[in-house]
Amino acid sequence: MEYIDNIPIYLQIKDILYRKIISNEYELNSQLPSVRQLAVQFSANSNTVQKALKEMTDENVIIPQRGKGNFVTGDVTIVKKLKSHIVAEMFDATYEKLHSLNMNDNEIMESFNNYVKQREVNHE
Amino acid sequence: MSKILEISHLNYKKNNKQILNNINLTLDSGKIIGLLGANGAGKTTLMRLISGVNAKNSGKVIVSGIDTKAGIKSCVSMTYSLDSLKKSPSRISAGTKVKNIIQFYLDIYPDFSFEKYQEMAKFLGINSDDKLNSLSTGSGEKLMIALTLARQVPIYLLDEPLNGIDIMTRKKIIKSVLQWKNDNSTIIISSHYVKEISSLLDEVIILKDKQIYQTIPVEDIQTQYHLGVEEYYEQIYEGGVSNE
Repeated sequence: MEYIDNIPIYLQIKDILYRKIISNEYELNSQLPSVRQLAVQFSANSNTVQKALKEMTDENVIIPQRGKGNFVTGDVTIVKKLKSHIVAEMFDATYEKLHSLNMNDNEIMESFNNYVKQREVNHE
Repeated sequence: MSKILEISHLNYKKNNKQILNNINLTLDSGKIIGLLGANGAGKTTLMRLISGVNAKNSGKVIVSGIDTKAGIKSCVSMTYSLDSLKKSPSRISAGTKVKNIIQFYLDIYPDFSFEKYQEMAKFLGINSDDKLNSLSTGSGEKLMIALTLARQVPIYLLDEPLNGIDIMTRKKIIKSVLQWKNDNSTIIISSHYVKEISSLLDEVIILKDKQIYQTIPVEDIQTQYHLGVEEYYEQIYEGGVSNE
């Protein structure tokens, strides 16, 4: 695992797990690997993994079931919300950068449309 | 969380030279702790004082509420260098095999779990028919880690378990520590590969100038100083960190 050194590991783990849920690698209602499996997978200690899972539980994205482990929520609206939140975060960063190039909203929209069209052309 | 280790006013001199000066330290159970310090800062000495291998000059070491020498030895499992094992002449000869060492551990440590050892040996690829003298540095460290973690004790001391080892093996050793750590046990690990072990750690102890400069949660380093563990540690050694 490659981590960013100066950001708490539990936040980075939470972020990776959220992306896996959004991309449907971890499906709705499916069971997450155990804390120890995640610890080994993420090369992180189990207290850190547990802290990530605790926040995910508090945010209702996963649901712990006694004696069974943690399950992804079955509520599609929660995952949709999560997705729009992460997408907004990505756009925030890009928008700020484009804005700092003195581009206005119309120019940003137009260049983004062109960009997407160009990609389509390149794929054909 | 209960206290697993309590050290107070610990002093250690060697040949009349002060090696560690007034060490005070309290650790909770269930954590993985990094022990950081430059060469000669006293990391190995501190571990040997905790495990009772070295005799302290003054001060107190209490492990799991126990302060007798024999009691502490049954609570602490520490990695030893394979060289020191090879030098103990009574047990090791040119033909000594890994399985003889395993038997040696079974004989002297009632808490040694053969089952746990076997699981780790399988994962790490240790062959019990290999001769001790023919083991590479990496294989030797793998064996030492498996032997050390196979004991069922409250506290493990891993002294530079990644030294002289290639990156794939380092990753494997790190994974085996995570896979086979008991939830309630505490691990203290010293390593110069600070970046590689930092995701493992709850806290770090920084040794400097014969003393414990600081014991700090890794998360505090990241949130309060916006630094990684390695940068923070280097800045401490270079003269200090400014709090933002």
